[in-house]
Amino acid sequence: MSVVILLAILLPMVVGMALLLVLAAKKEKDAQPTTEELKRLHITVAAVLVATAALGLAAAWLGSGDEGVTLFYLMKDIPVYFRIDELGKLYVTFISIVWVMVGMYSFVYMSHEGKEQRFFGYYLIVYGVLIALSFSGNIVTLYLFYELMTLATVPLVLHNGSREAIMAALKYLFYSMCGAYMGLFGIFFLYRYCDTLEFVPGGSLNMSLAQGHGTILLIAVFLMILGFGVKGGMLPMHAWLPTAHPVAPSPASAVLSGIIVKSGVLATIRVVFFMVGADFIRGTWVQTAWMTLTLITVFMGSLLAFREKVFKKRLAYSTVSQASYILFGLSVLQPQAMTGALLHTVFHAFIKTALFLTAGVFIFKCHKTRVEELPGIGRMMPKTLWCFTFASLALVGIPPASGFISKWYLAQGALQAKVGVYGWMGPVVLLASALLTAGYLLSVTTKGFFPGEAAQESYEDKEPSMGMLLPLIILAALTLLLGIFPNPLIGFAGRIASSVM
Amino acid sequence: MAFVQNFPFFCIILTLFGGPLSSILSGKAAKYVNGGIISAVGAMNVAVLAFVLRTGESYTYMMGHFPAPWGNEIRIGVLEAVMAVVFCIIMLLSMLGGIREREQHIEDSKQNLYYIMVNLLLSSLIALIYTNDLFTAYVFVEINTISACGLIMIRQNGRTIVAGTRYMIMSLLGSGMLLLGISFLYGLTGQLLMSNIKESVEGIVAAGTYYRPLLVAIGLMSVGLAIKSALFPFHAWLPDAYGYSTVSSAAILSSLVSKGYIFLLVKIFYRVIGFDIIRNSRIIHVLFVFGILGMIMGSVDAIRQNSIRRMIAYSSVAQIGYIYMGFGLGTTVGVVASLYHVISHAATKSLLFVAGSGLTEVSDGSTRFLDLTGAGYRHKLAGIAFTVGSLAMVGIPIFSGFISKLLFAQAAVGHHYKTLPTLIALAISTILNTVYFMKTVIRLYTPEKAAVIREKNFCTIHAWQEPVKSAALICFIIVNVILGLRSETIILMIERGLQMFG
Amino acid sequence: MNFSHLITNYQEAVAMILFCIGFSNLLLQKNLIKKIIGLNIMDTAVYLFLALKGYIQGLKAPIVVNGVQSVKAYINPIPSGLVLTGIVVSVSVTALMLSLTIRLYLRYHTLDIDEITTRLEKEGL
Repeated sequence: MSVVILLAILLPMVVGMALLLVLAAKKEKDAQPTTEELKRLHITVAAVLVATAALGLAAAWLGSGDEGVTLFYLMKDIPVYFRIDELGKLYVTFISIVWVMVGMYSFVYMSHEGKEQRFFGYYLIVYGVLIALSFSGNIVTLYLFYELMTLATVPLVLHNGSREAIMAALKYLFYSMCGAYMGLFGIFFLYRYCDTLEFVPGGSLNMSLAQGHGTILLIAVFLMILGFGVKGGMLPMHAWLPTAHPVAPSPASAVLSGIIVKSGVLATIRVVFFMVGADFIRGTWVQTAWMTLTLITVFMGSLLAFREKVFKKRLAYSTVSQASYILFGLSVLQPQAMTGALLHTVFHAFIKTALFLTAGVFIFKCHKTRVEELPGIGRMMPKTLWCFTFASLALVGIPPASGFISKWYLAQGALQAKVGVYGWMGPVVLLASALLTAGYLLSVTTKGFFPGEAAQESYEDKEPSMGMLLPLIILAALTLLLGIFPNPLIGFAGRIASSVM
Repeated sequence: MAFVQNFPFFCIILTLFGGPLSSILSGKAAKYVNGGIISAVGAMNVAVLAFVLRTGESYTYMMGHFPAPWGNEIRIGVLEAVMAVVFCIIMLLSMLGGIREREQHIEDSKQNLYYIMVNLLLSSLIALIYTNDLFTAYVFVEINTISACGLIMIRQNGRTIVAGTRYMIMSLLGSGMLLLGISFLYGLTGQLLMSNIKESVEGIVAAGTYYRPLLVAIGLMSVGLAIKSALFPFHAWLPDAYGYSTVSSAAILSSLVSKGYIFLLVKIFYRVIGFDIIRNSRIIHVLFVFGILGMIMGSVDAIRQNSIRRMIAYSSVAQIGYIYMGFGLGTTVGVVASLYHVISHAATKSLLFVAGSGLTEVSDGSTRFLDLTGAGYRHKLAGIAFTVGSLAMVGIPIFSGFISKLLFAQAAVGHHYKTLPTLIALAISTILNTVYFMKTVIRLYTPEKAAVIREKNFCTIHAWQEPVKSAALICFIIVNVILGLRSETIILMIERGLQMFG
Repeated sequence: MNFSHLITNYQEAVAMILFCIGFSNLLLQKNLIKKIIGLNIMDTAVYLFLALKGYIQGLKAPIVVNGVQSVKAYINPIPSGLVLTGIVVSVSVTALMLSLTIRLYLRYHTLDIDEITTRLEKEGL
């Protein structure tokens, strides 16, 4: 099984690098590839995507469970080490679904952005890195792939090469690095005070060593939460999200929002629940500060999204807000809330990807980027807008769509946890934010189908081709289906949550 | 006695003779001779390294006919061989990377002078690494200083002459103190060979008499070498010397010359005095404090620079600070971290200098940040190399810098009361590093308007137009990645080498 | 602190005072020639100190005249050798410093290092 893990990680990385090398060796880089070449590229990428997904899922679900594989030693007693656990399985599964879907969508979409080979090269590399990240068995491996992920996603952001895109990419890079450093600072401490750098459910903090160093350890943990929170778009370092998303190609923003943001969540979960242990920070100022920050982010993100007129930026602010739902669920340190957080991680991945893909369709077919240009869009592409609507309903949390379930668990968990005033303030903020979410997303739907005064006499049919529509429909259907049949997933997330607390 | 065991001696002699030989050759011939000598010395040292690793113990090699304690000796262990190999590799790559600049900056009639200096420098470095005799070390320290001064001065302009003069003044202050320290030690022990001094020193400490003069001697030698390796606040000469000399010189000076002195200091700590005595003296606290100050002040100064060369130069001050901070922890783990950082910093800093010169080349020779806008597109390989160097300096995993930071942090966390200052200094310095290196990388990849490029006479250079430099840059990148990924082997060798020291 | 040691070891004390004089001259003088003089004083002080370490009151120079006498008859020759080596080093270093000074003087017509620096900054190189 260990071979399968390594293959799943290395295959996309190697093929991706090969694509880039072939590109670099080409003499005329800017020449448009012929249809023949494009077709070959698409087949290669599709084959690798499917093969990787199959390998990744096989590694996750078919193995006997408790397997590890050491790649090499970074330093004595610090191996680069992969291990499959429940959380990793969950992550690899939803990442694979999203990655394959978005890949399929990009075959069509990227034709108008150009430089496909470059895009798919990095796209595959990031996939490999993400699988490695999910399977990371210790904190240093996680950190290694976390940084690699940042570096490999930067080219996706600056894809079109405009000055604006490059500045945005650098902002993204800078924020991510600062964040990762704060995390690294904490890792130094954990190296000393934890029994092992491996992830152990419930944490491996050595209490006898930590005795008397409580304050400094709490500071270190807080820095790690803040640092990994950068990727999760948590206040005060959320500003890269609304800058990076609008300039990136839509598939890139889709995975950036749907998946990359979740890697910050993954790192936070690993640190808090698998290294330090929830008990250590329960009831301390760290927990209070963490909850405060997430709640402010939830509310502020929604508010900013509500006021934002550029469609992709609006979705980006929405991600800021929604990712903090997840982080809030983690911060109350209560099993039920954590179940909600994990569910929301999965649901939000599907939902936000679907939303960004719709935004991509608007750009691709009609060149519309601003919200006020969208009225009547539903008449041109009803199927697309229906997908958007279903995903929006799920994000708002209207039963039976999926978002309702995760938010229910989040609110339940917050009410049950003994966190004082936050117990009721959390659900209130979540509710207010959900209303705002409805405001900023569903207004697009209503205006799209019922343009009112802006209505034109006739609308031409601009529905995208099946290549773009199918992934969208599948993702939208998933958001709905997971809401109707949530039990297996709830059970699975619940097991993860109860194993660490 | 195996034939390999003669190699260190051959290295010293070969490089020493390379100097006079270059003086009668033309510039071009001297260049090839020099390249050949560095490669040969590197290869011999690899053989020596393999030999000591196989036998697992160090050996001494008698120079001349008299056995210890009268004669002169060199001593070869794992650490020495590792250092020699690293120095040769870095020197070769730095020389290759700066070929074109050297031909532009140095008058034709003086080309061969440069190679005399480089050969002498290499010979003094190798001798510093291997020698077992304190006074010989002093003599080679001076040779090192003189040839380094030559490397700075070879590009003739007002700045370099002043920089060279300042460098000489500071260096002479340092070597004066070193010499006085050695004399003190000689007065106390009556020995010059390192191992013999150590025995006597142990006796002195056990007897309790003359402990204070011993401390004075340690202090004089440490401070002397610290001045010579540009520890804050003795770094005033450094930015000009590195910033205005030709690029090979800057790379060699920053990555090798100062490291040679640092290595000598480690030898003095372990082989002359004994690390337990050093640990109990207060000298290490002084080194620790100045190391930490250097880490922060060097980075602060680097941020304020408006020229890429001077920025890289100030960053050296910060990195030297890291190394002394590691010594100042007073633990073997700390020294291992410092020694690893010596290697990783040598590899990274020379990479940065060479890549930086590629970038200034496409910006009409200007080193100012303003003119470097978009240089990463005009010289792609140099841009990538500079980015790799920056990432290594900042400490991204898979590059060398991350491992040193990890080692330093590990060493710090294990210490009972220096943990916090070290980690805080590491954090501040890392963030400052990120600020100025990322700022530069951002600048390199900010597109410049086409009109400005035309107006300012910027050109574009492709990697295949300068095959030698490109090859050097690629090798540098590979070395950095190897150091980042396969650090375990090197750390293990450093640890074994330190054990052999003790 | 017992100062009587300073009296009995007056030679070493003198060497140290000389060293300090030379050191501070090298460090603090603005004039390059004075710096070089400081350098020489400093080096000479060390040689004095070294020579003292090898000298033993009342014994002969280690030169064989009437056959080899017992080891106890001669002073220690090693420091004298070191002093000679040191002198060679300091001569070459002094020569280098002087040549640098000449270069600077030809370029800037002054020996004051601070003034040269300010002029360099004005040139804005």
